[in-house]
Order: sequence, then C-alpha cells, then structure tokens
Amino acid sequence: MATMIEENGPSTHGRGELSSYSSRARQKLESLLNKNMRIRMTDGRTLVGLFLCTDRDCNVILGSAQEFLKSSDSFSQGEPRVLGLAMIPGHHVVSIEVESDSLVGTQGFGSSH
Amino acid sequence: MVMKSSVEDGDVGWGLGVPEKMRNNANWVDITHEFKGACKELNLGELLHDKFRFGLFEAMSAIEMMDPKMDAGMIGNQVNRKVLNFEQAVKDGAIRVRDLSLPELIGIMDTCFCCLITWLEGHSLAQTVFTCLYVHNPDLIEDPALKAFTLGILKVCDIAREKVNKAAVFEEEDFQAMTYGFKMANNVTDLRVTGMLKDVEDELQRKVKSTRSRQGEQRDPEVELEHQQCLALFSRIKFTRLLLTALIAFTKKETSSVSEAQKLMQQAADLLPALRSSIEHGIQSQNDTTKGDHPIMMGFEPLVNQRLLPPTFPRYAKIIKREEMVNYFSKLIDRIKTVCEVINTTNLHGILDFFCEFSEQSPCVLSRSLLQTTFLIDNKKVFGTQPMHDMIKDALRYFVSPPVLSSKCCLYNNHQAKDYIDSFVAHCSRPFCSLIQIHGHNRARQRDKLGHILEEFATLQDEAEKVDAALHSLLMKLEPQRQHLACLGTWILYHNLRIMIQYLLSGFELELYSMHEYYYIYWYLSEFLYAWLMSTLSRADSSQMAEERLLEEQQKGRSSKKTKKKKKGQGARPLSREITMSQAYQNMCAGMYKTMIALDMDGKVRKPQFELDSEQVRYEHRFAPFNSVVTPPPVHYVQFKEMSDLKKYSPPPQSADLYMAASKHFQQAKLILENVPSPDPEVNRILKVAKPNIVVMKLLAGGHKKETKVLPEFDFSTHKYFPVVKII
Repeated sequence: MATMIEENGPSTHGRGELSSYSSRARQKLESLLNKNMRIRMTDGRTLVGLFLCTDRDCNVILGSAQEFLKSSDSFSQGEPRVLGLAMIPGHHVVSIEVESDSLVGTQGFGSSH
Repeated sequence: MVMKSSVEDGDVGWGLGVPEKMRNNANWVDITHEFKGACKELNLGELLHDKFRFGLFEAMSAIEMMDPKMDAGMIGNQVNRKVLNFEQAVKDGAIRVRDLSLPELIGIMDTCFCCLITWLEGHSLAQTVFTCLYVHNPDLIEDPALKAFTLGILKVCDIAREKVNKAAVFEEEDFQAMTYGFKMANNVTDLRVTGMLKDVEDELQRKVKSTRSRQGEQRDPEVELEHQQCLALFSRIKFTRLLLTALIAFTKKETSSVSEAQKLMQQAADLLPALRSSIEHGIQSQNDTTKGDHPIMMGFEPLVNQRLLPPTFPRYAKIIKREEMVNYFSKLIDRIKTVCEVINTTNLHGILDFFCEFSEQSPCVLSRSLLQTTFLIDNKKVFGTQPMHDMIKDALRYFVSPPVLSSKCCLYNNHQAKDYIDSFVAHCSRPFCSLIQIHGHNRARQRDKLGHILEEFATLQDEAEKVDAALHSLLMKLEPQRQHLACLGTWILYHNLRIMIQYLLSGFELELYSMHEYYYIYWYLSEFLYAWLMSTLSRADSSQMAEERLLEEQQKGRSSKKTKKKKKGQGARPLSREITMSQAYQNMCAGMYKTMIALDMDGKVRKPQFELDSEQVRYEHRFAPFNSVVTPPPVHYVQFKEMSDLKKYSPPPQSADLYMAASKHFQQAKLILENVPSPDPEVNRILKVAKPNIVVMKLLAGGHKKETKVLPEFDFSTHKYFPVVKII
C-alpha cells in the first residue's frame, strides 16, 4: 500500500477522532492512485488518465492523459489528443469520475461512510 | 456506438488499441463531491501520491492545463472563432469549393506558396502547408484551377520530402519530415497532376488572349482588369507546373534529366517578374478582431492541426510575407540551377571543390539534398554512371600520378600490385562518400562532422603507408628507373590537411573563437597546417613531373617525328593554382597571428580570468579532433609554447617588430594574389582584407594609438576567415 509523503511539514498527530477521520480520507484517496480517472474541466474538455497525485486544493495530476473535446462521451469528434503528464488546477475541475471497478472495498469512495 | 472512421484512415493513430476504446464503455461513477471533501483533509502543501512511482521530479514536468502558455488546446481563450476542419468549413459555408473569384484564387495560391516556403525553411507541415484547408482533400474541390494547384503543391511537398529524407543531410533545425499522416495526393500520378495543370494553363491562356488589348480599340478597364488577373493566375499555375516537373526530373536516374531540370528552372525564373507584379491582385487576410490573434486568410486555418502537435509546440509558425515570396523563389531557383552544374565536373577533386563552394553560401536544405542525390544516385554510382572506385583512381592519377595506375608502367598489369591498389581504393570509397555527404550539411553541423571523420582518414593513412611501402619495393625490383615513393600517402595526407584546415577556419565563420584564442588558431594554420600542405602539394607536383618526364622519354625513344617539344614551364601546372592560393592563405594566417601576439604585448587583448581552467585546457579542446591524426602529428600545448616562444630570438622582438612582420605577410599575400590569372571572387575578397591590414599594421608599428585603452575591432564582414583589423 502506498504511503503518503509529507512534503511540507508533519501531519497532525494524536488528534484522536479527527486524525482517524483524516487518515480515512487519505486512505480513500490512496485507493484511487494509478487508477483511471475522468475529469471534466471548466472549458468543456475532458481529460482521461491515471490518477497520480493530488493535494489540498484538489489540483490533480493525471498520467498518460488524453484530452477529449465535447465532454459528454469519450467518442466525441476527432481523435483524443495525447498530453502525457497533465495537471488540472483544482478550480478548473468540474467533475471527477472513476470506473466502477476501481471502487473496491469499504474503504473506497462510493461505499457507505 | 459508432466508431469514428478517421482512425482507419491511418492518420493520427496514436496507438489507440481496442482496450482503450473498451475502457470508454466502462461505467464511470461520479465521485466529485467525496473527492474534494477528502482533499480538504490533506494538510497545506501535502501531496498525495504513490511514493515509489511518482515524486516531485515527475510532478514538475506535468503541463498545466488552462494555462495559455502550456495548454495549446485551451478552448475559447485565445480565439473567438470556431476552429473548423475542411469538411466542416465546407458544410458550414465558411469556404467555397467552386465559383471562386480570380482575386480569391490568386490570394489563396500566393498564401500557399508562402506556406510552402515556410515549410522548406524548417517548420512543420502541420503549421504551414496544411493550414490551407483545401490541401486536406483536393477531391472535394470543384474549381479546376484550385484543384490542380492543390494537387500540384501536394506533389511538390511529397517529392521534396522524399529527396530531403534520402539525402540525409538535414538535422532537426533544418527540416521537419513529419507528415502527420496527411495524404499527399498518392491516389493521383505525377503525370496526371502535371496534365491537369497544363489543361488549366491552356484554358487560362485562351482567356488571356481573348481579353488582350487590340489595336485601335478603346480599352475597357474591366476587361483590362480581368486580363491582368487571368494573366496572374496563368503565371501561377504555370510556375507550379514547371516547379513540379523540375522536381520530377530530379527523381529520374539519367543525368540528362538534370539538364532538363535546369531548363525548367530557368523557365520558372522567367515567370517571377509576372508573379511579383500581380501579388496585389490577390485578396488579403481578414483581420481577426479577437484579442491578440493573427489575421486569417480565406481558406486557411492556422489552428486546424493543433491537436496533432505535441503540447509544447509553439502555437503559430510565422508564415513569410507575400512580398518576400518572389525573392525566395528567385534565390531557390538560382541554387537549384547551380546544383545542376555539378554534372559538368568529372573529377573527384573538382566535385569536392564544387560541394565546398556550394556549401559556403549556406544553401537551403532542399538544394543541398538535391545536390547529394544528383551526385550519388540510388545505385551508388557517381551521376548514375561512374563507379566511385574509378573516380578515386582518376583522382590519384590527376593529383600524384602513381606509377601503378599508369598504363605505361609494368605494375599496371602486375597481379599483386593490382590487388594492393584495388583494395586500397575500395577502402577509400566510403570515407570519400562520407566526406561529400558532410559537405551537404549546414555549416554548423559540418564542422562537427569534419572533426569526426578525421578518425576514418587516419585509418586510411595507415593503410596508404603500408600499400606505398609494398608498391615501392615491388617497383624497385621490376622497374628501377621508376619510383613509387609515397604517392598514396601524399594523396591521403593532402585530404587530411584540407579537412583539418576547413575545421579550424570554420570556427571563425561560426564565431566560435574568442579574441584571445585567435593567435594559436592562426599559428596552427600558418606555421603548421599550411606549411605541411605546401610541402605535400609540391611533393605531389614533383611526382607528376617525374611521371611526365618518363613518358616523354619513352615517347622520344619511339618516334622522333611525333615528339612535341614541350617548352619548359609552359602552361600552368595542374596544382599551381592551389599552391598559389595556399601560399596566400598561409601569409594571411601568419600576418594575423603575429598581429595578435603584438596586440597582446601591448595589452590590447582581453583575456579571461582562468579561474578553473587555463589556456592549455582551451587549446587542447580546440585541437582535440586532431589527436586521432597520425600525420601530421598533433602539436600539443607545451610543444606549441616552445615552438612559438619568441625568447629564442635575440634580441626578442617587440610589438613594433611583430607589426612590421605582419604587415610584410599581408603585403606578400597581396602580391601573390594580384598575380593570379583570372581572379575569382575569393581572391578579391582576400585582397580587400589584406590591403587595409597592411596599412593598419604599419601604423601600429609606428606606435599609433599605443596608449589607448580601447580594444581593436575585428571585422569579418568582408572575409569570414580573415578580419580587417580596426583600431578605434
């Protein structure tokens, strides 16, 4: 299981209930790492790629990202444009989707919480 | 779900296999809310990622979406117009495929020409020729002129690209060979396209004739305008056809087609004035009123291919202006005509000189490529007819007259001697082909490659020495009155020295050397390389003369009535011009190096601080490629310092003495060059540098401006290797 690295300062320790809630949030996010993710941006484009990194502001980095125009379905006109490694600033994220297969177990998203 | 057929077209197939498509059918679950909520639980500055497979280093190289600098696909930010492709634009009514007016056709064609030129100058097809929507699918065009024209342009691009690829004398800064899967009119033959162009041409010619002004008739301005515009269109169609036909001629294997290409190019050049005077008839680009955007020409969409380009590609390629179009074509045609001349040179040395001279004008990648592919056609024969081996043997005969290659010598038919010489010549083939190919690259890359090829020539030199020794001893036994000596070695040495000299001189042209380095570069050239070259050339000359004398004597012995009295010294010897020019160059270099030393003595040369390195380090770096050469042996720094030490003279010379000596060298160069029969532009260029330098050196010797702190200037604008020294 991937562990999180603290790039800037230590995480909060021993805050009891609060800390366990935080670590559950982290676990949920971690369970999505390297899975396929589809993000719609504010200008209508959709990016599909592997979820690699995020932060507090919901800036998301996707790997092997492909860009589709006309977000609704990925079969839009023309070919998807291959971008490679792409970062979407949090404030340009309209929606985030993952494949239902990625949501496994009770720890992940979509499960009861 | 309908699979987009464009994938099968074989164009941008970015490797999207079936699994990818399947994934798009997967059930996507929206987790936006939970995701954002979970993110809020992270600390400020904390990154959540896979520790092993992702880190800051990777994060740094991600392109940022919605940032105009990095996100080329951003919608609605930079341009307000919708970016439509050809089919969409036609459906939308944004462009027409029929009933185009003459000004529209002229404008579109001129812009296409400009795009073609911009592509030839090194930009991508996607941002030049293929910003013209019409070339994406000429089958949809109904206007016959435009249809023929676009097919013609596609064919021109296709052939040009093929030639440049085959010649392989380009680097990424010269040319972009990517076709992005665009169709280049492969479904139509070259002949068909030239035929279509001719049909349109004939039709237009009829129109031009019918609208011509007649004697005694009142000229209707409308008819006159139509006449001008028809003429303009006619010229463009004909120009396209001539250009295409010329390029097609270059693809043929016969040398006769090269002459044909030359004629066609001349005819194309004759059309250029008509093109130039009619540019104004074409419609201009419409100004796009959105922020910071470029004017858009009807039928063109600069962003239509943006999605095919990597994310970091610059947004627009700057297409040249129509006013510059004719000038460019004019120069291009001149270059291509010059290329056609190469078939008139038949000996290897002449060809090498031709390539060197051609390269000196920094020609474009297309003309360089055409020269390469004309020289060595597919079957590896020179001009398609002569095997390289024969050319090398001829070059040897011309330069150094080795006995073994003379039909009058007994070695000519000696089995063993033939083996030796044939094997040697066979080994020479590749290095010389490489050398000629090197001279096809752009000037900067050439220098680098010249440095590398010295290694191959060092191996050749080694072999030459061995073969020389073998042939020499063989000849001694069989025909003692003849001597082989070191013929082959001399010839290879000659080429070695030429390469080394070119390598050093091109450093001046490319502005690689600092002022404080001039003195050792010019020293190496004048005291070492040119000295060796002079002795090599005179050795070759003697070898030739020895052979000639022998032949004369043999002829005398045979028939006394047929002997021609050969006056001594009559007629220029084959190598005399080269010897003379080398002498001149040597004197120029000597003058320069003495000037630099004297200036240094007077504190007029700025030197670096040499904190982490020293002059020795720089010296060794400059001459590093020479380390692989056996003859002449490289001069190492310590040795150089000894050889150039002025203290070995007593009394050691002062700066005034050196200035005078430099002046004398320039004087000597001037004398030599003024006596050259039929001087070429190069001779005149050197004279233009030598003359002022004579004067400047004399002034400096007299103490002129000795106390000034201002540094002298070196003006290479007259001659790229030898500067005019200017004292401010």
